[in-house]
Amino acid sequence: MIRFEQVAKRYPNGHVGLHELSFRVRRGEFLFVTGHSGAGKSTLLRLLLAMERPTSGKLLLAGQDLGQITNAQIPFLRRQIGVVFQNHQLLFDRTVFNNIALPLQILGLSKPEIAKKVDSALERVALADKAELYPGDLSTGQQQRVGIARAIVHQPALLLADEPTGNLDPRLAAEIMGVFEDINRLGTSVLIASHDLALIARMRHRMLTLQRGRLIGDGEAGQ
Amino acid sequence: MSATRSPKVADRVAPKGSEPQPQRPRKRRNDDDDGPDFSSLLRAWIESHRASWTDSLRRLGKQPIGSFFTCLVMAVALSLPMGLSLLLKNVERLGGSWQRAAQISLYLDLDAGEREGQALVTQIKGLSGVAQAEFVSREQALGEFQQQSGLGEALKELPENPLPGVVVVTPLEIDKAALESLRQQLAELPKVQQAQLDLVWVERLAAILKLGDRFVFGLTLLLVSALLLVIGNTIRLHIENRRIEIEVIKLVGGTDSYVRRPFLYMGALYGFGAGIFAWGILAFGLDWLNDAVTGLSGLYGSDFALGGVPVADGLSLLLGAVLLGYIGAWIAVWRHLRELAPR
Repeated sequence: MIRFEQVAKRYPNGHVGLHELSFRVRRGEFLFVTGHSGAGKSTLLRLLLAMERPTSGKLLLAGQDLGQITNAQIPFLRRQIGVVFQNHQLLFDRTVFNNIALPLQILGLSKPEIAKKVDSALERVALADKAELYPGDLSTGQQQRVGIARAIVHQPALLLADEPTGNLDPRLAAEIMGVFEDINRLGTSVLIASHDLALIARMRHRMLTLQRGRLIGDGEAGQ
Repeated sequence: MSATRSPKVADRVAPKGSEPQPQRPRKRRNDDDDGPDFSSLLRAWIESHRASWTDSLRRLGKQPIGSFFTCLVMAVALSLPMGLSLLLKNVERLGGSWQRAAQISLYLDLDAGEREGQALVTQIKGLSGVAQAEFVSREQALGEFQQQSGLGEALKELPENPLPGVVVVTPLEIDKAALESLRQQLAELPKVQQAQLDLVWVERLAAILKLGDRFVFGLTLLLVSALLLVIGNTIRLHIENRRIEIEVIKLVGGTDSYVRRPFLYMGALYGFGAGIFAWGILAFGLDWLNDAVTGLSGLYGSDFALGGVPVADGLSLLLGAVLLGYIGAWIAVWRHLRELAPR
């Protein structure tokens, strides 16, 4: 699903985001990327979303070389990916339903198809009764679940999450992680960037550890 | 909530601000999936544009006062050159009627009498390029001169009438070269001592109209630039207000054209509103001026009146305004879209 081959990212100001990183992620795998602030977690996610390009090395996502991808191809690449942000990135002037429907509208699905898929996504994040509300009417945890529903509504092959539990209390964080596991069980590859080691350790999935842009660990969490 | 949405809820699915776009055919997940067919792509494309229009309309409707004043500013900028252009057309129309009255005066030999004069008129009427010819006898000429000059008594003291008979020729068209050619042709006729063509005032009027045309053209360029700036700035503000939305749209797979579309339609709608207002301003303004113009022209014994805004000109104004709005928005989005990369 994902292949990093000696991928490096250097910024014009001299800062090195990633040092020749190499690893693979299988289709349907659940993976954590952890490390302190500045370790390179966000850089890794930005590379996968084609928000940035590797300076050197080869980065393949579903067979597509992200170093060679054209600007016109990027939107179509992103349609295969779901993204969950720490700050949710919800549109507060749209209802929960319309926030979740956004990727489907971009895909040009018909109204009944959109309704069906949004309902299904809402069911999966246990927010079926909140469709008509606005994000501002919801708690932080519920907003994060709306963000997750929006990320999975178009059934992406890969789900990326950047510190998805950063603003949540431990109980809510565990609940959100449970949602990710449910999604993963349906076949979606999940890659979560997080520095919540305690939570990660309880989940016993593969964990990549980054430090100053270098991969210093690759193994099952908790071991 | 059940997985099957009620029809009422399903109707609400086209949400505010939704702008679907056709989906590029994706890799098939299984052999039974043939991907989107042409009709579904077309439907999605139509739905995408419809949604963009309604979203743009809704956003303009949410700020009625702001939208109104933007349209009004644009309308004033549009109506100034268009109004001047219409006024010039009216002056040209007025000038044209004067031009048709441009005449060549043929001063005859003093010994040419009424009979020769009338014969000459008959001959001249048969020439091409002549609309009318009229003979003024020496006696008529003297009478008119006495009346107009106020030298009636003095002229009576003259031993004989010094004024020649005159044939006044009205040409068919006012073309300087053609008129000069006609003048030369008339000058060679028998009994014609001098053929006089006075086109100075026609040339002055033409020069003034040419100056007016240039002024209108320059003003149009200036105001079109101002219009593009107004619409560009307005669209830039809309883009700024929707920055997060645009970033999210790009992150979930929206293309640049998908992001751009509602702003382009918004620019076109601003242009449409401005075009309608400008048409109204011009129609009202010309009607308002017309009372004064007919009063003035009446004093000169003319029935001249300003024409209104011809439908073709009004439609051109509307189309031009829509295009300007669209182009202004396109430039603004093109300039700012690069800054809207997801962060």
